[in-house]
Amino acid sequence: MTPLLVAQIGLTLFVFLMLLQSAAVMVYFERKLAAFLQQRVGPTLVGPRGVLQPLADIIKLMFKEELRPGAADPLLFALAPIISATAAFAAFAVVPFGADTTFFGLLDQPMRLQVADVNVAILVIFAISSMSVYGIVLAGWSSNSKYSLLGGLRSSAQMISYELSYGLSLAAVLLIGNSLSLTEIVGAQSGTWFGFIPRWFVFLQPIGFVVYMIAGVAETNRAPFDFPEAEQELVAGYHTEYSSMTFAMFFMAEYINMVTVSAVATDLFLGGWHGPFLPESLGWIWFLVKVAALLFFYVWMRWTLPRYRYDQLMRFGWKILLPVAVLNLLVTAAGVLYFGL
Amino acid sequence: MTVFYLFASIAVGASLLVIAQRNPVYSVLLLIASFGALSGLYILLDAPFVAVIQIVVYAGAIMVLFLFVVMLLNAPQEDTEFDARTHPLLRPGPMKFGALLAAAFTGELIWALTRAGGGSGGFAGGAVSSVEALGRILFTDYAFAFEVTSVLILVAMVGAVLLARRDDRPGSRF
Amino acid sequence: MPSLNDYLILAAILFAIGTAGVFLRRNLITILLSIEIMLNAVNLTFVAFGRALGSADGQIIVFFVMTVAAAEAAVGLAIVISLFRHRESLNPETFTLLKW
Repeated sequence: MTPLLVAQIGLTLFVFLMLLQSAAVMVYFERKLAAFLQQRVGPTLVGPRGVLQPLADIIKLMFKEELRPGAADPLLFALAPIISATAAFAAFAVVPFGADTTFFGLLDQPMRLQVADVNVAILVIFAISSMSVYGIVLAGWSSNSKYSLLGGLRSSAQMISYELSYGLSLAAVLLIGNSLSLTEIVGAQSGTWFGFIPRWFVFLQPIGFVVYMIAGVAETNRAPFDFPEAEQELVAGYHTEYSSMTFAMFFMAEYINMVTVSAVATDLFLGGWHGPFLPESLGWIWFLVKVAALLFFYVWMRWTLPRYRYDQLMRFGWKILLPVAVLNLLVTAAGVLYFGL
Repeated sequence: MTVFYLFASIAVGASLLVIAQRNPVYSVLLLIASFGALSGLYILLDAPFVAVIQIVVYAGAIMVLFLFVVMLLNAPQEDTEFDARTHPLLRPGPMKFGALLAAAFTGELIWALTRAGGGSGGFAGGAVSSVEALGRILFTDYAFAFEVTSVLILVAMVGAVLLARRDDRPGSRF
Repeated sequence: MPSLNDYLILAAILFAIGTAGVFLRRNLITILLSIEIMLNAVNLTFVAFGRALGSADGQIIVFFVMTVAAAEAAVGLAIVISLFRHRESLNPETFTLLKW
């Protein structure tokens, strides 16, 4: 095995473990932040300042009994969390998170910090995120419970509706970046305008960024669009009947999806690993900072905004977000055509 | 070659199971598996864009719509006037005719194709696989067809909304 | 390296499976799914021929077929929903009246 291959396998494992961990970190982060926003203290008992709380949660979940409703469809009931988790992990595979590196001279030729360098990366992300709806829909259907079914139905309608705006906001970035490869799009965002404004696409695509973030929140089923699991109406929505590790897989998938949406937003709109002060080789620090900022935004929104009503969500998606996304795409296309951005 | 046979057998096996299933939810899922295999075949044919679009449009949108309707109607089992034990091929009428027709059709096509000569011929060079080239052709040579398609989509959308709408006005027959 | 004929035979088999599904099944949803199988078999022949001729036209036509398939699925499923409301059944043999 060549050193490059070893490094590539190591990187793949590293990304996998980091994604697994990110769910645990996010749980702690979210609980502490929620507590802060509500003037509570949050978890404090387990470990210093409660940092071991996610670990305690995981241990608790692992020792719970695995339950399956008698009338559930056994095959699909088992398959649904697997689809959810797989789609969540797979989407991150094409996300680059740092500049080419030789790991301080350990490798002969530089390696890209990305699990799989696909030249149609954006389409792959879009395809995988469109597959993740199956996990939720099947969970809802196979549980044979009315709450689960309603959650599954809601989520399929919601995800189809918001996927359009999501795709259109991505298309506008493709026009400016003139590429389908995430690495090239990040590359197009290096440098500055007038010496001090970073060439991030968020400045060219402010509306696109807002549309992307709103659609991203809806795609990941987070508050204020968390209808598939609206606990006051649907108990827990599609995962009502799940317990123990199968529940944990849905839970993990949701957090990993948040991380992926934030990472893609960072690559597309916020210049990826480009930023001032740090050399290119330490760009991944900028990447982490930007992703963390977006994740903070997610949590902040969840604990600030009340949940929409379902018809409001649909009306907003089809009558406001989609037209705005289409207009944004048209204006961007005209701009690219006449000014050759 | 082995990759081709792998994808081909998944596609054929899944498609066969689609029409052999009694439960439409399983049918939809198996069809998604079949589409995934076809998407792999498109990659073998140097058409990566079609492969991804196959997943996004077919598996990600059309099949979700099917699954949505199946779940909405919640009528999973096929109701048939025939005894469940009667094999479809032994039932009277159009079914038997259709099965025979399909079998004859497969036989003829395979017979014709295997005798067509040049059976081991490979592909010519110069595959068009770049998205840019495809886009250029789609929006220049096929611009009219593209525009007509958008009208078709509009008509389908209006039609679907009108057909599936529940009319609650008094005196309405629908 | 599989040849053009291999792809065409595969497409023929898939198309025949789709045809058989339309004739054999008595469930509107499955019939629509069988039509999708047939459309995909046609797509496969288009892409295979396009590849064999080194032309992009095969792939372009696939986009149009997909659009038609999406339109067909939307209208077809809308009809299925409104039929189901009338008869509480998905069996096409229950829909024998032209008007009432």
